[in-house]
Amino acid sequence: MEELSYVGKSVTRKDGPTKVTGRAEYTVDVSLPGMLHGKVLRSPHPHARILSIDTTSAERLRGVKAVVTAKDSLKIRHGFVDTPRYPADQYPIAVDKVCHVGEEIAGVAAIDEATAEEALSLIKVEYELLPAVFTPEEAMKLDAPEIHPSHPKVQEPYKNIGGLTRTGWGDVDKAFNEAYLVREDRFVTHLRTHAYMEPQAIVASYDYSGKLDVWVSSMGTFLKRAKLANSLGLPFGNVRVHKTYVGGAFGGKVDLFSHEYIASLLSIKSHSPVRIVYSREEVFKGARHAQPLILELKTGVARDGTILAQQVRAINDSGAYRGSGVVVIFLAWGFLMVPYRIPNLKYEGYSVYTNNLVRCPQRGHGAPAMRFAVESQFDMIANELNLDPAEMRLRNARRPGEILPNEDSVKNFGLARCIEEVARRTNFVEKYKKAEEERSSVSTIKRGIGIGTCAYFGGSLVYPNSSSVIVKLTDDGSVLLITGAVDMGQGAETVLSQIVAEEMSVPVEDIQVYAADTETTCIDIGSWISGLTWVTGNAAKKAAENAMKKLLQVAAEELDTDPSELVARNKEILVRRAPDRKISYKEAIAASIAKKRGDSIIGEGHFRTMKDEPTHPSLATTKGRWSENYSSYAQVAEVEVDTETGAMKIIKVTTAHDCGFPFNPMLVEGQIDGQVSMGQGHALYEEVLSDEGAVINPSFLEYRIPCALDMVETDYIDVITEEYKKGTHYDTKEVGEGYVAGTIAATANALYNATGVRLDQTPFYPHRILERLEQIKNKER
Amino acid sequence: MKKKSKRLITLIVNDVEYEIATYPNRTLLEVLRDDLSLKGAKEACDDGVCGTCTVLLDGKPVRSCLLLAVEVQGKAITTIEGLSSGERLHPIQQAFLDNGAIQCGYCTPGMVLTAKALLDEKPNPTDDEIQIALSGNFCRCTGYNKIVKAIGSVSAGKEGGH
Repeated sequence: MEELSYVGKSVTRKDGPTKVTGRAEYTVDVSLPGMLHGKVLRSPHPHARILSIDTTSAERLRGVKAVVTAKDSLKIRHGFVDTPRYPADQYPIAVDKVCHVGEEIAGVAAIDEATAEEALSLIKVEYELLPAVFTPEEAMKLDAPEIHPSHPKVQEPYKNIGGLTRTGWGDVDKAFNEAYLVREDRFVTHLRTHAYMEPQAIVASYDYSGKLDVWVSSMGTFLKRAKLANSLGLPFGNVRVHKTYVGGAFGGKVDLFSHEYIASLLSIKSHSPVRIVYSREEVFKGARHAQPLILELKTGVARDGTILAQQVRAINDSGAYRGSGVVVIFLAWGFLMVPYRIPNLKYEGYSVYTNNLVRCPQRGHGAPAMRFAVESQFDMIANELNLDPAEMRLRNARRPGEILPNEDSVKNFGLARCIEEVARRTNFVEKYKKAEEERSSVSTIKRGIGIGTCAYFGGSLVYPNSSSVIVKLTDDGSVLLITGAVDMGQGAETVLSQIVAEEMSVPVEDIQVYAADTETTCIDIGSWISGLTWVTGNAAKKAAENAMKKLLQVAAEELDTDPSELVARNKEILVRRAPDRKISYKEAIAASIAKKRGDSIIGEGHFRTMKDEPTHPSLATTKGRWSENYSSYAQVAEVEVDTETGAMKIIKVTTAHDCGFPFNPMLVEGQIDGQVSMGQGHALYEEVLSDEGAVINPSFLEYRIPCALDMVETDYIDVITEEYKKGTHYDTKEVGEGYVAGTIAATANALYNATGVRLDQTPFYPHRILERLEQIKNKER
Repeated sequence: MKKKSKRLITLIVNDVEYEIATYPNRTLLEVLRDDLSLKGAKEACDDGVCGTCTVLLDGKPVRSCLLLAVEVQGKAITTIEGLSSGERLHPIQQAFLDNGAIQCGYCTPGMVLTAKALLDEKPNPTDDEIQIALSGNFCRCTGYNKIVKAIGSVSAGKEGGH
């Protein structure tokens, strides 16, 4: 293998100096001349018909420049999913009914926030209250209030069904009959949230030429453009979404949100720039949070712990509209079936409308819930059969080259190696046995160890499906890299620079990145679906190759040889066998301009995954290819539990990970650390609490996220399954989402190992642990 | 709601004196961001718990969202924009870069200033002391591991001294 100079190295962030000096401009920092401040009027009711809206007094208030309601809109529905089976179901501004507390009814733009706030209080809305329902299982009952009609293709006698995924293979009943042990368990996961530091924010500026300029905190500017243009009835080209730095997203800034639509509408009506920035309270009360799931698992195994069959029912509370509910019931199936072999499976997932806030993806999008359930039950089975939990996982882990039932290959799947290595590094078996022995000791501080695994997909086919990248060589051989990628902190711009540096033999410092702007850059898959490095990365590689081909052609003519005889090194092109015959990039570019009728050197590259597949798999049946790069990992958590207070601490998390080819090990570690921390918060104390659909802990005082004192020690083991060889594409896999899942699962199992407490519900609050400890004690008496 | 009349105040920010006419109910954060265009300090929680609005007041870290601008006249205010001077980044900033302590960067200015106040007072803090000092600055991206490491590396003089 040729020596790599830039990829595979812990290059420091391209945007680091800008960020560390406070100069990075986030959406909240954008200020335009004449900018107005927008505020949103929200429903105080979970379910109500809107009888009338009177905005007269608000419009008359001095300083108010525009008021908008549904009558100013085109009444075009939008949705996270918009397919023939699942057409868009949400108006960006409520038309005749509201379905959750906080639903957007009107918007006001005024000269300052206080005036806008005052104007909101002057809008009179008449409601007719409707009965509401707040849990999916209640909402499914036939006597529940109807929020939206059940999906026409769902024949089961349920109400409020937004979507159904049903799939499987083999004969589960036969396999359960033959199984040595069959367990049936039910797990419930809670409502958690992203807690991105930068709140939801947008500045929209419409001018008389018919153009809408937008700055918005997002995970992908091209998706925002498409959805804004569609819902406003503007040509795509008239909507320009600019680049801003993004203060964290974690899944919570994908899709179009009503306040973004309202800011745009206010700007169109007032012909002034309009800024809407959420308060933290508004983020909690009005933005979308993650997906809670109820999971019923029936698993049959052989005497040695080999899985024979699983039957799984997932119920998702999608909130007032579909949001990503019909995606999460599909994905939950994926996170169930990838890591371990399941010869017989029956899966059904229901997405159910309730009068709660709309849900959206969050880091893992279904994986944290599914892996918590599967991995917990796995340990319960291992305990019943007296098997080593790591060994039992190893027995079931898919091996490299296995073909999944959807015909995807897991290719160089490193899960088995991850399990082996993480168990070895942590002395898992020894510590596990020791903790079991010490469970009955007098000490009130118990230590425990637990393992969890997950596997993930990357870069699947979802709009805009592909990425394009352009590289331009400047006169002196430095490079402009033009990409639609949004760097929300994960390091996209740095990694893309490393790729171009490698392919063009130009130092990373000589590359300037122009990113994310929909007017001046190219379409990009976006910073979700865990595929930016894979999809945009390979587009960048192709663009670099394309430019180099042109440059080498000129150099060959100048050096009087064939391009195949040439090699590029640090902005110079040399004849391989006679390295003193060389030409600098600067000279070659000048020669191209002089002799090729002015051709400057520009390279273009395009990439999409699974290029022979027409589209994404069916959300309803799971048929169709899903991904061509599956990552995997095994994580071990070591915890300490105080049996007097029920308080649990995660001391250390060790991660063995297969992310394919790691482009930037320092960035990979950063992703893992962040997910361990998020997993810790979700496992132990973070929960969005609601009463009748209204969030009751809408601040960081009441929704606690981990602080520096809660820092978990982390350790990593690289299981590198893909090497990069020049000329082949880069095989990278996900590294930014699923580790939340592994951490929660490992923590649940470590809690059991330490105390004998098995919780079937997240988060693992001290009072829940104490209650179970009490039950265990009573049983022993 | 009738507004109170503005007052003329003098703030010393990053060694520069500014005369500002402002309402007495405005926070230091608002004045820094809206009047002086110093936008490194951010708002994120509205409750004074997250630390993204941290600036230094006579060298001590404070939450600029909880202070009124009129209260801090005559005191030396340092914002992230005043930390580096000349061609080089401040050693703490360099350490954040070198150790991968930055992801989305939204909390970074507040983190760096909190670290500066700590290191000015305690040039060689233990990891525990670093964690305690940072406990009022939230970061959702990094899990804090690399931030603590970065600050530790400055104190140990590995990044060219403090």
